Amino acid sequence: MTPDPILRARGLTKTFGGLHAIREVDLDLVPGRLLGVIGPNGAGKSTLVNLITGHLRPTAGTVEIDGRNLTGARPWRIAHAGVARTFQIVKPFRAMTVEENVMVAAFFGGGRPTSSVARREAHEILERVGLGGREQLTPGELSVADARRLELAKALALKPRVLLLDEVLAGLRPAEIEPALHLIASLREQGLALLMVEHVVQAIAAVSDEVLVLHHGVVLRSGPPAEVLADDRVVEAYLGARYAARAAARKRPEGES
Amino acid sequence: MTTTAPEVSTVAVAPAPATRRWRRLTPWGVLLLAAAAGLGLQTQLYTGQERTVTTVLMYVGLAAAWNLIGGFAGYACFGQVGFFGLGGYTTAVLMVHLRWSFWLALPVAAVFVGLFALLVGLPLLRLKGHYFAVATLGVAEGLREVVINTSSLTGGGAGITIPSFGDAVTPWLGNDGFYLLFLGLAVAVVATGLLVARTRSGYALRAIHQDEDAAAAMGVNTTLTKTLAFAGSAVLTGAIGAAYAFQQVTFYPDRLFDVEITVLMVVMVILGGAGTVVGPVIGAVVVAYGSEYLRQHLPTVHTLVLGALIVVAVILLPQGFVNYLREATRQRQFSLLENVRRYRL
Amino acid sequence: MSQFAQVTIYGLLQGGLLALVAVGFSLVWGVMNVVNLAHGAFVITGAYVAWEINRAVGLDPFLAMIPTAVVLFALGYVIQRGLVNLVVNAPIFITLLLTFGLNLLLVNGMILRYKANYQSIPTSYATQSLVLPGDVRVPYGRLIAAVIAVALTLALAWAVRRTRLGLSILATGMDRGAARLMGIRAAHVYAVTFGLAAAMAGMAGAAVGTVSTFSPADAGRFTLFSFVAAVLGGLGNMYGALYGGLLLGLVEAWGGNLLPNTLVNAVAFAVVVIVLAVRPQGLAGRAFYASRVEV
Repeated sequence: MTPDPILRARGLTKTFGGLHAIREVDLDLVPGRLLGVIGPNGAGKSTLVNLITGHLRPTAGTVEIDGRNLTGARPWRIAHAGVARTFQIVKPFRAMTVEENVMVAAFFGGGRPTSSVARREAHEILERVGLGGREQLTPGELSVADARRLELAKALALKPRVLLLDEVLAGLRPAEIEPALHLIASLREQGLALLMVEHVVQAIAAVSDEVLVLHHGVVLRSGPPAEVLADDRVVEAYLGARYAARAAARKRPEGES
Repeated sequence: MTTTAPEVSTVAVAPAPATRRWRRLTPWGVLLLAAAAGLGLQTQLYTGQERTVTTVLMYVGLAAAWNLIGGFAGYACFGQVGFFGLGGYTTAVLMVHLRWSFWLALPVAAVFVGLFALLVGLPLLRLKGHYFAVATLGVAEGLREVVINTSSLTGGGAGITIPSFGDAVTPWLGNDGFYLLFLGLAVAVVATGLLVARTRSGYALRAIHQDEDAAAAMGVNTTLTKTLAFAGSAVLTGAIGAAYAFQQVTFYPDRLFDVEITVLMVVMVILGGAGTVVGPVIGAVVVAYGSEYLRQHLPTVHTLVLGALIVVAVILLPQGFVNYLREATRQRQFSLLENVRRYRL
Repeated sequence: MSQFAQVTIYGLLQGGLLALVAVGFSLVWGVMNVVNLAHGAFVITGAYVAWEINRAVGLDPFLAMIPTAVVLFALGYVIQRGLVNLVVNAPIFITLLLTFGLNLLLVNGMILRYKANYQSIPTSYATQSLVLPGDVRVPYGRLIAAVIAVALTLALAWAVRRTRLGLSILATGMDRGAARLMGIRAAHVYAVTFGLAAAMAGMAGAAVGTVSTFSPADAGRFTLFSFVAAVLGGLGNMYGALYGGLLLGLVEAWGGNLLPNTLVNAVAFAVVVIVLAVRPQGLAGRAFYASRVEV
């Protein structure tokens, strides 16, 4: 018995001039479940995230959070409603320390904590994502993996109920992906509703409860990971028609992940 | 529920509460000391020196006020003198036509300037970078021309004179009086800066400066924060303009809306260190004294030399003195030539 | 009716000249994200150079445009390569302050040398007019100036798209890192761009000197006009600078006719702010210049 969705998007559409970046996309985000979003480049994955978080106004469609219509609301109102996100190209505050970066979110995520409370919260979250001890560094001094951790820490400091991850794993070494997936799984267990945009298909397969495939701005397929990833159309969208035909001809045996 | 690592760590732990309290109160202590020093200094100065220091204090206030919108929030307002002049002229109009006391006119004028800033800030703050800079410049120029063209109210190009002697409602404050007034205003503005820097609002403004989209995504109401900083900066600048107007008694639009005042403000903040509290103060003191010195000793070429100094200083110290000092001590590297490499192609 | 025609023609002629002033400013802003507050000073410097040449060898100012252009190009190249390049990556205050300081230097240098008096470059034909039906007068000087100005503006616009140098300027403006990876020397390209802008401004100055009076005190006005025309036309868009200049010339002419003189500038600025609020890329500009990739 799955709980009610916190966030419902219906009929989301975004056009730029004549280009349909996103067309009629529906999705639900449920606490404790992770929705994976995959698709070839240019499919509109980041646009989708931006539409939900208010960085872009939808041309049509609605976004409801806890039943309230927050379609196209300003990003801070979405943040106050409990929705946090990471950016695909990380956007840290470069002239502030790691600690101060997270404190901004701690200050403005709702409630009006004092400096010392915000600092304490920031330290706790930095420990949790694995950046403990590096609070006084500046973002420029962090490795790629640590920069991603900082981005995640900033999002978590908002005490969100919904978390949108935009390609957090991009550029990570395989050894770095494992702990990242552990962390994400633990967030899911804590009851966050998660959406994860990714290219690393194995990662999606490992942590998603449901997968949504975007292609040219339209939902190609959605459902449980095993089904979706075995779908011929999905393979074709990612790898092209020739490979899809080969795969169909070979008909992979059941149970292979 | 994930377990967190134990609180004990080998790296820097947040200082004990007692140390933190000292750290929090020290800047206020310094400000109090500086105010006291200012008061004490007054007794030691001749009239001519007193007037110079008064001018320096005025610029300290102006620079610190500009720092709120330009330094912290990063919105390069190049029309700041518009608020200065509007404050001055509003005060003059209130005192000349309605025969108000100066002590009533000053706060009312400042609030009026703040409301004006709220009004124009709404469309203007949607602009970024250069656009914002020159749009605000345009507003300042526009204000000047409106003042020139409403001569029945403002005296237009012929200037306006505030009644200060004889049967005036408020007699002229005298050199000593104005020294104290500008000292008080400077302290007020710097105190505002301190308040902003150390609280939530300071974090919000700095976040907006560095990445407005990310700040918005983290819950900062960027529109409200920017507008409040803009209006707050305007109110303080307007108040200083009001004081200046009364001090000058007679003045003209070209003086009260002089672009050079804005540029001096910006130079002081940038060279002192934008986004810090001490930077604008240091910058103001150094540049104001420097400018006065040049004006007295090299009257024909003082603007030329000022221009050359601006060019040199901007190239050598683009991040400002205070920030340069902080980084230099952090990285133990003091070479200015290395500093030049910072922003070069 | 004839007054309408007179004012409109005057506005277009002035506008053509303003376009030449603005096109370099717009190019520099679009390519390097530098707002050159000393641009107006280049215009006046050009006027003085042409004036000196005219005084020394009696060369017609329109012909003197050529050496003027060379001198101003050199000046602009050196200033960019030696000074502005040092702060190209800095926040906008820094470049604004730098060019402001340069402006102070140039303007006050000229005031020291020439005093602030108004000068003009005399020619035998400039004040005579072509008389059109309806008693509309078109001064020859203004007509030649406008024609040359528009021709130069169009030539620059053409050259930027069609010559190798022009393309390297555009490429560097769109993505400096990528351009450098393709072997384009960014510092040199920037300096050439700045030099071209200065040369255009200088030539416009020579024209201004012929058709009206000039003085160092006018430098700020020209910078302001360049800004307005560039914004109206869209940054980096040279045809846009042409439209912007013409539009500004018309507004100035009509405004000067209908409103008290000083309000015209206020109106021009109000127009700019409104345009920017509604359409941040200018009337004819393209949005990508607003989001530039820098390396």
